[in-house]
Amino acid sequence: MDEVVRLVFDILAFTSVMVLIVLGLGVIASMMGIFNFAHGEFVLLGAYTVFLFHESGLPVWTGILAAPLVLAVFGLVLERTVIRRFYAAPIIAMLGTYAIGLVIRESVRGLLGGLYKSIPEPLPGVYSLGGIDFSSWRTVILVVTAAVIAGSWLMLTRTSIGLQIRGSLENPALARSCGIATPKLYALTFAFGSALAGLAGALIVPLYQLSADIGLRFLVQAFLSVMLGGVGTFEGPVLGAAAVGATAAGLPWLVIPVLADPLVFVLALAIVRFRPQGFITQGRL
Amino acid sequence: MTQSGEDASGTAARGLGRRRLLSGASALTAAGWVAGTSGGWMLRPKWANAAGAIKMGIATDITGAIAPSGNSNWQVAQFAVEQINKGGGILGKPIELYLEDTASDPKIAVGNVRKLIQERKVDVVLGGITSAMRQAIKDPIVNRGRTLYIYPQLYEGQECTKHLYCTGPTPAQQCDELIPYIIKKLGKKRFALPSANYVWPQLLNKYARKVIEANGAEVIFEEYYPLDQPEYSATIGKIRDGKVDCVFNTVIPPGLQPFMKQLHESGFQKNGGTLACVYYDENLLNFHPAHEMEGLYSCLDYFQAVNDPFGNKLQADYAKKFPDTKYLFTAGSASTGMYRGVKFYEAAVIATKGDLKREAVSAAMDKGKIADGPGGGAEMVPGKMHCKMNMYVAQCKVDAGKTRYEVISKAEMVDPKEC
Repeated sequence: MDEVVRLVFDILAFTSVMVLIVLGLGVIASMMGIFNFAHGEFVLLGAYTVFLFHESGLPVWTGILAAPLVLAVFGLVLERTVIRRFYAAPIIAMLGTYAIGLVIRESVRGLLGGLYKSIPEPLPGVYSLGGIDFSSWRTVILVVTAAVIAGSWLMLTRTSIGLQIRGSLENPALARSCGIATPKLYALTFAFGSALAGLAGALIVPLYQLSADIGLRFLVQAFLSVMLGGVGTFEGPVLGAAAVGATAAGLPWLVIPVLADPLVFVLALAIVRFRPQGFITQGRL
Repeated sequence: MTQSGEDASGTAARGLGRRRLLSGASALTAAGWVAGTSGGWMLRPKWANAAGAIKMGIATDITGAIAPSGNSNWQVAQFAVEQINKGGGILGKPIELYLEDTASDPKIAVGNVRKLIQERKVDVVLGGITSAMRQAIKDPIVNRGRTLYIYPQLYEGQECTKHLYCTGPTPAQQCDELIPYIIKKLGKKRFALPSANYVWPQLLNKYARKVIEANGAEVIFEEYYPLDQPEYSATIGKIRDGKVDCVFNTVIPPGLQPFMKQLHESGFQKNGGTLACVYYDENLLNFHPAHEMEGLYSCLDYFQAVNDPFGNKLQADYAKKFPDTKYLFTAGSASTGMYRGVKFYEAAVIATKGDLKREAVSAAMDKGKIADGPGGGAEMVPGKMHCKMNMYVAQCKVDAGKTRYEVISKAEMVDPKEC
């Protein structure tokens, strides 16, 4: 029994890391039709923000709180200056955001001198529950992820701003004629997606150390998740990420680890072959 | 004959501004470095000898993924060569240093190394850090280039190319002291070998397994992971279920931190488990939070904690030459091997009475011996292209949140057992 609980916790913990990273990517892809190839670097910037706070002697948790805000502002500025020019050409958008990501990644690499930096988690160690030890920080990530999913979903489905977002994605022309400022909404959505990436980076960096490639590791799996879940809904990418995360954490129990990594892709691609629309098919949110 | 200082720095400034600034080699602005006409760099001493200079080529990773090690490496090369030049060079001849960036990329490296051989016509090449790099550049240097090559990093062994000398520790040197210590002194019997999936862990584990079994302990599992695997719960499960009491780790960054954290959180160390990792040097002291480092065993040819007068003097002089540098003079980053390599070459040229021909120097290297170095002297095993050196087992201690190594045992002149 202990073993099963532990296994479930471990898989859930990694799955929530995956979901957290995919959320921002999924929101931007679903709502705006843009695949943000710089997403991994937004995650990196979130992590780097925490590092800067830590370096200047401030508590790590202040950095974790600040990271989404910093990234929201960063995303807003980027959308206003660059991203908004890409809406008409999604393919160019991929290349453009990739280039942005490359610039960010290599700049951070330069700033870090190519080194790995360790950042302590604000809640280190483990706690015991029914005789089983659980990692405190992974639990925090689990709880925050659940809260973020619930919050985002409520915002998109239950608030007037959510209605406006959904409306302007369904039919931008009609939304504009109803007096909804679509450019402003796009900017807000992009900033929101960036903030989610920043939060993800800030929360996972104590687990993985800061290095310029921290986002890159997850980027490909994150895209796979969005593909698997289906673009155009909020739930789709979340489900996709859960599937990819659980498979990635679960497979090494069954097969040798070097095989597990490619196997995740094989499984996901097989599913996409039979459900090219993804798990959830529906118009955009 | 003397290269004037102003001339040199003027050329450096122009060369930098024009095309090298973006290549990430900013540290090369150190006074005296001159940008070459075809890329690459050279460092001349302020004096010269009518008989010409000894040309030493350094091929190391100034940029790219393992730039931190590469930069420590060339800083140490510069440091060692400067010491020799200050003392009058080798038999009155100064050493000129030529640097080519191997850029952590064997494809780029081969071309750049060829430059050292064909254009610079260096007398010896030192460098390469990863095994992939050594494999890529050894042929252009030793076979086609007909030049002596010295490889400074601790590695997996089995490199037995003529005229290629290895000055870093081999698996035998890293395992023969540490593993019996863990089994006999600490009483550990059940080993796990979690590893990154590439050649160094594979061959090191092969040797480690032999030593483990010869000492009456057993290997519960030996497993390889993609280098950037982020999740290790399955591994931790095996460690727990297999009642493993010693984890002999060869997982490397970026997969290292998640592994160490999950291992620590599983209570492995708290429940009396021993963690050993033979590439841990001073660079890795602050790599993890202190509580995750506590109690870790490493085995290398030098730790600052060895506290030998010669090593301490070296560290002090190195700190003076590169104040506040982030590139430390440590064993894990191939720096001690680099220092040893330069000194072995010096000794060999003295033995040949200044003859720089490869065969002559190589023959002298083969019987080479250096009296001093960080952690002690070293001695080539004739015909084996590897050297005996002192090895130290050290354990990581934590005082008030600060980590440090404590040297536990010293083994004198350990045999590399290669070739």
